[in-house]
Amino acid sequence: MSDLLKVENLHAKAGEKEILKGVDLTVKTGEIQALLGPNGSGKSVLAQTILGSPKYRVNKGEIFFKGKNITKLLPEKRVKLGLSLSWQSPPPVKGIKLSSLLKKISQRKDFKIKEAEGFLDREVNLDLSGGERKISELLQIFSLNPKLIIFDEIDSGLDIKKIETVARIIKKEIARKQTSVLLITHSGTILNFLKPKITNVMVDGKIICKNNDYKKTLNDIKRCGYEKCKQCKFSTN
Amino acid sequence: MKNASNVNFLQIDHKVENIFQPKGTIILPSPKAWESFAWVKKLFKEKPKEGYFVWVKEQSDQPLATCLTISSPKTVQNLTNILVVEKNIKAKASVLCNSIKNNLCGIHKAKGKLILKEGASLDYNHIHKWGEKDFVNPDYEFFLEKGAKLVYNYQNLLPPEKLDLITSVHNQKNASVQMNFVINGVNSKINLKEEIFLEGEGSQGVMKLRMVGKKNSQIEAKSRVLALAAGKGHLDCQGLLVDKKSTIILSPEIICKNKLAQITHEASLGRISEEELNYLRMRGLSESEATDLIVSGFLQL
Repeated sequence: MSDLLKVENLHAKAGEKEILKGVDLTVKTGEIQALLGPNGSGKSVLAQTILGSPKYRVNKGEIFFKGKNITKLLPEKRVKLGLSLSWQSPPPVKGIKLSSLLKKISQRKDFKIKEAEGFLDREVNLDLSGGERKISELLQIFSLNPKLIIFDEIDSGLDIKKIETVARIIKKEIARKQTSVLLITHSGTILNFLKPKITNVMVDGKIICKNNDYKKTLNDIKRCGYEKCKQCKFSTN
Repeated sequence: MKNASNVNFLQIDHKVENIFQPKGTIILPSPKAWESFAWVKKLFKEKPKEGYFVWVKEQSDQPLATCLTISSPKTVQNLTNILVVEKNIKAKASVLCNSIKNNLCGIHKAKGKLILKEGASLDYNHIHKWGEKDFVNPDYEFFLEKGAKLVYNYQNLLPPEKLDLITSVHNQKNASVQMNFVINGVNSKINLKEEIFLEGEGSQGVMKLRMVGKKNSQIEAKSRVLALAAGKGHLDCQGLLVDKKSTIILSPEIICKNKLAQITHEASLGRISEEELNYLRMRGLSESEATDLIVSGFLQL
């Protein structure tokens, strides 16, 4: 499998504060990886920086996608190349129906998710329940026909049944197109459904651990907490 | 209004091109109406120069459509428009005022009186589409008699260089008005003055304004709801600035002269949220496409 996304020694700042402090990450074509880490460790900032959010400034390091250096590319150009991000807390877009937005962005004719049918005529992310917002994200993201999707806590705030639904949709769609996934999460439930090949642990702006066994990683974190990860002999810190 | 033959009154520059009178409605050029009806003379001191007169006397299923167009360079229209809806009649009207080209440097001045008799109702869609060099000055007064109902939608997505828009509504007992103004300022100087007078007991008035300032636009809106009787009113003004050189000044004013009246207001001015913009860019839209989408959503009422 070839490298689809390669992040090398990435440092990024929000204002004057450095949040990413040398992230290395490689995701191969068709691979599912997980990214765990405590609140404030920089997971969402990494996702936003990979997608090119102007909110964060890369001050060192590089991002490659399909072999192309995209570190300075505009967000919309990165999306056109096949990168996409499902937001943890997507903002409302007032006055715009979800169906209208889909018409503008969709790269897949007639792509549907049956769970979204009830709110296609409602405004994007406005007055939607937590579950509806996540389904709306999935609908938008998969309609872009991406090569790699970063899911930023797609499971947060969902009950077990909803997590199952979300995981089922993801599993079905990524299997069709060999889509790569980087799954940012705090919970093991969704990992049990998607079974990542590699689980990364991020602490204080760096990925300090990569493991092939997500269950073991989860157990270790549960047992010792993230602080112990820093002291672990397998840590790359 | 794509097909001119469906328009009840069509004036291009100064020439009345088409009049189509549905059954039970009298449509005339306003100077002719001024000569024909004594009561019209009482509405205006001087004989109108041009414009339309529409008198809806009987119920009709067909919505009315008028079109006042500038097609020649430097045309100066000086219009007087009159619309009267008789007692208990329900009517719909679409009014288009426009320039056919972007650079005609036209002037469109319009004075209007619109009268809704007791129990009448009118859905009035007023659309403006102007060229970048036009000057536009409509001044409309609405008189709503007892129990009359007006829904007035003013939309200006292609603004002129200068727009002075004056609108006032007088509500008698139990009359109600819903006014919606949607204005997209693009390198424009826009002055708005809208007023609702709650003159009769149980009268109601809601005014909503959505204004966008783009490309060095200067927009000032003075909006007022005044209660002289025990009525209810609400004022909702919101502005969105899209570029650094534009300015929007909102001056909402609510005045209560009756202790049983209730008037509320909300007003906000802001810029496009960076988060919303980035979100849409991460859906593949360019910065300008995302901005246009946010603006079009903001202008939805």
